[in-house]
Amino acid sequence: MCFNSFFFLFFFMLINFFFFVYFIMNGLSVFFEWEIISFNSMSIVMSILLDWMSLLFMMFVSLISSVVIFYSKSYMNSELNLNRFIILVLMFVFSMVLLIISPNLISILLGWDGLGLISYCLVIYYQNLKSYNAGMLTALSNRIGDVMILMIICWVMNYGSWNYIFYFDFMKNDYVMFIISFMIIIAAMTKSAQIPFSSWLPAAMAAPTPVSALVHSSTLVTAGVYLLIRFNYLLIDMFFFKVLLFLSILTMFMSGISANYEFDLKKIIALSTLSQLGLMMSILSLGFPDIAFFHLLTHAMFKALLFMCAGVIIHMMNDIQDIRYMGGLSLYIPLTSLCLNISNLSLCGIPFLSGFYSKDLILEMVSFNSFNLMVFILFYLSTGLTVFYTFRLIMYVMINDFNLMMIYNLYDEDYIMLNSMFVLLFMSLLSGSFLSWFIFSYPYMIYLPFNLKLMVIYVSILGSILGFMVSNMGIYSLNKLLLSYNLSSFLCLMWFMPNLSTYGLSYIYLNFSQILFKNIDMGWSEIYSGKGIFNILKNYSVFYNIYQMNNFKIYLFSFILWFMILFIFFFI
Amino acid sequence: MFFFILTNNNSNKMFFLFILFFSTLISISSNSWFGCWIGLEINLLSFIPLISNSKNLLSVETSLKYFLTQSLASINFLFMILIKFSLLKNFNMNNIISIMMNSSLLMKMGSAPFHFWFPNIVEGLSWMNNFMLMTWQKISPMILLSYYFNKNFLIFMIIMNLIIGSLGGLNQTSLRKLLAFSSINNLGWMIFSIMISENLWLFYFLIYSMMIFMMISLFFLMNMYFMNQLFINNMNFFIKLNLLINFLSLGGLPPFMGFMPKWIIINFLLINKFYFLTFIFMMTSLIIIYYYIRIIYSSFMFNYFKMKWVNLLMKNNMSLINLSSFISISSMILSTFIFM
Repeated sequence: MCFNSFFFLFFFMLINFFFFVYFIMNGLSVFFEWEIISFNSMSIVMSILLDWMSLLFMMFVSLISSVVIFYSKSYMNSELNLNRFIILVLMFVFSMVLLIISPNLISILLGWDGLGLISYCLVIYYQNLKSYNAGMLTALSNRIGDVMILMIICWVMNYGSWNYIFYFDFMKNDYVMFIISFMIIIAAMTKSAQIPFSSWLPAAMAAPTPVSALVHSSTLVTAGVYLLIRFNYLLIDMFFFKVLLFLSILTMFMSGISANYEFDLKKIIALSTLSQLGLMMSILSLGFPDIAFFHLLTHAMFKALLFMCAGVIIHMMNDIQDIRYMGGLSLYIPLTSLCLNISNLSLCGIPFLSGFYSKDLILEMVSFNSFNLMVFILFYLSTGLTVFYTFRLIMYVMINDFNLMMIYNLYDEDYIMLNSMFVLLFMSLLSGSFLSWFIFSYPYMIYLPFNLKLMVIYVSILGSILGFMVSNMGIYSLNKLLLSYNLSSFLCLMWFMPNLSTYGLSYIYLNFSQILFKNIDMGWSEIYSGKGIFNILKNYSVFYNIYQMNNFKIYLFSFILWFMILFIFFFI
Repeated sequence: MFFFILTNNNSNKMFFLFILFFSTLISISSNSWFGCWIGLEINLLSFIPLISNSKNLLSVETSLKYFLTQSLASINFLFMILIKFSLLKNFNMNNIISIMMNSSLLMKMGSAPFHFWFPNIVEGLSWMNNFMLMTWQKISPMILLSYYFNKNFLIFMIIMNLIIGSLGGLNQTSLRKLLAFSSINNLGWMIFSIMISENLWLFYFLIYSMMIFMMISLFFLMNMYFMNQLFINNMNFFIKLNLLINFLSLGGLPPFMGFMPKWIIINFLLINKFYFLTFIFMMTSLIIIYYYIRIIYSSFMFNYFKMKWVNLLMKNNMSLINLSSFISISSMILSTFIFM
């Protein structure tokens, strides 16, 4: 099953690549439309839009998913129901492809809901309590986005069809479009885990590592960004876009800080994904959709590679994910640490790896166009924080001493996993330059002063020095976290946002509902409607029975009495 | 009834049964009030031999009670007819005379507030005699009521019927008394339907008597008179299902047959803006359904009480039971094909 799906998806990737090159070189885009039903004034059509953006994204999605499925043949080989897992992954890929190729809100809804549902099924795949809670958090946060898209479908019925791309040019100043833009931004924020909804992404690391590599690094979380890229013409001078800018740079900043306090390997990688997502959203909301798309694609490559290396390491460490138990691994697993290092450095934006092209372009565009001081500071600070936690991770995992028990099982030669990682390694080295040659037919004009140009390097060097210094722990080091406990817990626990989604939502309502239940359901409503009315009726019935069980003569006499009364009152 | 009479080798009773039928026909098809009264008297006279059985002291007492009440009502009826002729010279006006005539007819029927004899007598009769009392004996007083009724008085009586029928039955354990109180309640619906149209009354009456027939024949075949006898015997599934369906149909629950006449009456009520009366109809129906369900709820639970050492042999009568269940369930839907 694994091999079949790997070959199918790889072949699909090659087809997409061929068509992508053909379409972008000739400037083509193809639109298929099939009318399913037309009733009153709306017509439901199934449409497929193939332009270079959707083909490129499909190529990347199918590449990553084929490699991940091949990887999971070895990673999950002790799993009894591997076929179930592969089928879930394939259904996920199908929903993602449906989302990518659809210019039609209803098929976007199908893909979006499919993504949410299948990611829930994949997060709860290991059936323990932590996965259950993580799955609940994931599914319900995604559900808010689903509701928003449903409401958009309802509002778009004003225009007569659900193909939104036709209405952007004509209806920009309409009130309906205003509402739609608000809702689409909220939907994208829930899927891509921006600030009010960002607690599900670190929690969803309870999923198996191949799932994290596919879903939570490159496909599910980028669906929101992709949707906003498609809606970009609508949103570009709306007010909520500026709100999105604010929230996304805060997301970038917050997750960069929180990743520095984390000790769980997959959570660090999740928070770095969150930081890069914030970066993508913020550059999108500044008005550069193609750069956001570029960064989306290169990020997909190296983040999936990073997750896969983390998977190999977790297997080796006997399923321990805590980085305090690791150290010095670069000596024993050279090929895996090669992949880990290249993806980490690509994440930091080291020159001429793939991440450099997109990240550096973003930072230079931010410096070149005149934006807010806060925007500028947070962008560069977050870049520095990225380098900070990356170097901290490298120090903990690769360079410091090995901290696990004395039994070594550091086994690198699992060629299935390694071959899959090599594919992504190749792509994460080269995809930056290759994509920039394709997507940007002419380069952006950027003219910066010398120090501003080198600002990236200054910030990176500062971050790396700090990362090195923070990870030098000795027996006699002072635990500074305890000295600044309040601030540290604020920064470490993601600015208390998980409490907003979990404890804050459930505690108050459950408490209130307990009060209601005891006082009303088991209290007053028993007297006023349950047992109380029954007692009243029973008493009436008993009272009546006293009259029923009577002398027979009394009945007859009462009849005569009635007539006497009638006679007396009406004939005198 | 025929079956019962034939099995008991009592052909005298067959004779009285025929006279009973003819007396009702005389009463409802006569030109003058006097003829109506004659029909009522012959009705009384021919019913008494049907219910009295000189070997049983209880049935003798019951027949005596029945005779006393009905004859008092008939005397009153005759007297009021004569007063009407002499005072009003054959003019029909809606006044006190109509109230008096209606109350004597109501006593004949066993409707509130003159209903006190009804549960007592029902307790003393066998099931088939009860069936006669609850269905056939109501025809002629009802139709006579429709000839000369006082609307305000009758609406007040309807409300009393409904309330007494529902509240009185809450505290009963005898199945006969329960059906008696339900009959008083249904009398309320029937009197209102007479005020709307006689056709509607006929419809309600037919469906009601069909449902009562199914219930009573079931109880008769199983020889059950009290609530504690209901589930002690080991009834098979179809009998319990039949019991369930027929009781719910009698209570007026929607997919069953008994809902249809009540629906039509409520339709009329709401169109003609009798809102408060609708409310009373609804609420008393709920109380009635409560005590029906109290009887039958054990039959539709998964865990029910079953005594295995008592066996109920009902092999010969299954077709009647199946047919009656089928009719109760499917009549509403099949009627849409007929009355399309």
